[in-house]
Amino acid sequence: MSKVSAMAHLEAMEQMRAVPLTVFRHRRLSIKPLVIVPLTMAGEAGAPLAAMAGTARTAPKLLVVDQPRNRDQRFAFAADLGRIVMDYINSHRLHRRDVTSRGDGPTSRYSDAPQILVPNPGGIKVLADLGRMCRFRKTDGDYPVQPVVPLLGMWLTFLAESAEQAGTSMLLPVTGMLGEHWATGQSVMEDQNLASIMGWIAPADGVSVEQAIADAENPAVCPPAGPATSPEFDKTYLAPAVKRFDDARALGDPTAITAAETDLRELIGEQIKPTWRLMWSAISLLRAVPEAPRTAARFERDLASFTAYSDYQDEGALPQRKRDAAIGAARRLSRLERAQADFEADMAFDDSLVLADLRSVGEAFAGTVTAAETDRVVTTAKNRRVPRPRITVTTDDPVRLAPGVILISPSMPNNHKALIISSAPDEESTQITVEITGGMGRGVVPQKGTVPSLGQRIAYLPDPGWRPTPVFPEPDSIPWTHSSLADEDPDTDTDAAEGWGDAD
Amino acid sequence: MKAAVDERLDGLRGSAPRLTYSARSLAALENNPRCTLRAVLDASGSDKAAIAAHAGFPTPFGQSPFAIARGNAFEALVKANGCAELIRVLRETLKLTLPEVAYQDLNDVGGNASPEVRCTRTRQLLVNTALGKFPGTLYDHPMLRLQVGGHTVFLEPDLVAFRIEDRFHVVEIKSFPIIDDQADPAQVKAATTQASAYVIALRAMLAEAGIGPDAVSDTIVLVAPKDFTNSPTAAFVDARKQVATLTRQLTRIERIGDLVSLLPEELTFDLAVDEAGKAQRPAEELAAALDQVPALYRPDCLSHCEMAFFCRSRARACASLDVLGPTVREQLGGIDTATMALGLARGELTADVDQAEMAAALRHAARLRAEVLGQPGGAGAAA
Repeated sequence: MSKVSAMAHLEAMEQMRAVPLTVFRHRRLSIKPLVIVPLTMAGEAGAPLAAMAGTARTAPKLLVVDQPRNRDQRFAFAADLGRIVMDYINSHRLHRRDVTSRGDGPTSRYSDAPQILVPNPGGIKVLADLGRMCRFRKTDGDYPVQPVVPLLGMWLTFLAESAEQAGTSMLLPVTGMLGEHWATGQSVMEDQNLASIMGWIAPADGVSVEQAIADAENPAVCPPAGPATSPEFDKTYLAPAVKRFDDARALGDPTAITAAETDLRELIGEQIKPTWRLMWSAISLLRAVPEAPRTAARFERDLASFTAYSDYQDEGALPQRKRDAAIGAARRLSRLERAQADFEADMAFDDSLVLADLRSVGEAFAGTVTAAETDRVVTTAKNRRVPRPRITVTTDDPVRLAPGVILISPSMPNNHKALIISSAPDEESTQITVEITGGMGRGVVPQKGTVPSLGQRIAYLPDPGWRPTPVFPEPDSIPWTHSSLADEDPDTDTDAAEGWGDAD
Repeated sequence: MKAAVDERLDGLRGSAPRLTYSARSLAALENNPRCTLRAVLDASGSDKAAIAAHAGFPTPFGQSPFAIARGNAFEALVKANGCAELIRVLRETLKLTLPEVAYQDLNDVGGNASPEVRCTRTRQLLVNTALGKFPGTLYDHPMLRLQVGGHTVFLEPDLVAFRIEDRFHVVEIKSFPIIDDQADPAQVKAATTQASAYVIALRAMLAEAGIGPDAVSDTIVLVAPKDFTNSPTAAFVDARKQVATLTRQLTRIERIGDLVSLLPEELTFDLAVDEAGKAQRPAEELAAALDQVPALYRPDCLSHCEMAFFCRSRARACASLDVLGPTVREQLGGIDTATMALGLARGELTADVDQAEMAAALRHAARLRAEVLGQPGGAGAAA
């Protein structure tokens, strides 16, 4: 957040409608995402109540757990959802293409990766919890489950972990995607209400934004997008319906059971359908926003990690451990930090509004070339003559970058590099002299169009640079201070038998 | 002086019966302590939910029957058979050596469940235990008493345990899960704050018998379901910070007179309830009365304060930056409304000396946005 983004929120507040915060959509949007709207039962530890899932607006599948406290029904639900998710994932594991890779990585990659969209961050938490619940289950022994259950558990865990990493696109909350592109006149917390943020961006025909956001908070008009259902709904409708189902089952009356099941399905269907429709409206709004150029390169990384995990599964995978050991945690932290820094730099490079954010705090600048020494040549220590043109950019931005900082420029060809030589404040504006150091070809005369010319508008931001991949010790050479018995492989046998809520 | 303040508070509440603090409302003091409106409503014992509803902003709070049932079932499970499960958890999970266990049910005293009687009995037992005259270990639902702003508040912890290192520990039983040794931080924080109120009350009770605060640990024991099961697990949670914060908030309540004296004499939040139980006071008049008291709205009030929707409507009406939350607010230090921020950014308002720097930064930010959005397609990003 900077003053430029803050300004967008102020404008939204003043005009009572959402305004763009970025020029581009920085997240890939699959042509066929799998939308899942999960609902859970209040009070229980991530107990699934229902889910609506599908890859198109029409004909979604509705899964309902008639008695969420019943262990067998929960697993039947996990198996049903597992089949939907695994069919979807497997449909992305059909085509591979060769890639040139350095090192000993795989030489081919799948040409597409799955994308699961949920309404809000709570939805991701539900899937992560479901993954944790399912991945240690066994298909034999005391509490056998269908083979798809542990498989779903491992894949959901993989997807939920990928969602923690900035710039990935395999599991995303739609409210987050909307909030990245549009600024509303309300708080971040309120933006996590799908109906509310959609009310700011695209209220229904004939409905004002004021009305739309008021409706969004009224569960009677607009059922919450989950994961929890509204307490009022639970009290008035859900609890009696679940009780009718329990009573019918206690009596063993098949007609009554079917009737109670149908009732519950209809009841929950009415709660979940408005969110389902909103999800697809949100997706078409997002589709209309142009995708940022560097999204494609980030998607390659998604493809690589999807392929790697997929191959690991094919080799017979073990479930992910419950807690990272020391090395695993350090590795994960390093990966997340790099991803965050890369994503921010990518966005600023692609998107002039994100760049404006950096410019307003002096971490980037844009201006006009007011002096240019384009034929400057120096002799290097190796006695080679190289072009080192110098230009002076005059900018109104409050630049805080010091001499010696390496710069890249979205206004120049891709491998353009420059170095700050000096910066001289001159009343309102600042004159910054930079030396072009790269991206001019091999000759002593720079190639055409590689050196900014007099009067040209140009933007520069710091080069996030290449950083070496940190090296961590191998598992067998961890010092004793950083290992413990708890770091051994998780004992999955006891986990397979662990109870799941009130088994009745 | 004190009496005068009480009289003013009674006047603010009007004819409605006084609501006492509960552990939950005391814990809520920690959120947004600088809000005068809430301080005054709480101190006067006014029914915030009824007032907000009558002013046109009913609170959508409420607990799902499923959550309530689950909470009760879990607490019953933990305490069944003289806290057998709890003792197992304390011994196995927290590695405590509890040599012998004496369990005391304080839910009633010989069939009498009045708070006063239970409180007397609680004090008798706990003081004797602390002095080593009574061998108690676990006290189920003891009744504690705390003076808040000159009024007696009865507080009822789930459980108090003694003999964990020979100190009293407040045990808080919650039904949110601890999955792989991790629980939702927000829920842990709420539980800890609530337990802090018990720690303070317990200390106050023992202090009357001349027993120092060290007798009560400020580490609480959180008991919650393990992973996705029904079987409990436990963790120690350090509550030092929250005990200190809450203590500070309680002393502020003692000084409520300072806030009340700034309010108009005739001010009241009385709903003028008639014999049929219907509020007769015109809603606009009530809203006008509420407007007399400064409120400090923040978006996270929406998740805990009954007045939040009323306050938000007021904040929206005057285009207050509070509506946007702290991330935007902190970018615009010293400026209170969107109107002013935009006015400065567009050069329509003249900045005073304090605002000069902020105004320049805002003008620059506005220029940057205009520059980018003014370009065809908002481009300029062509690589």
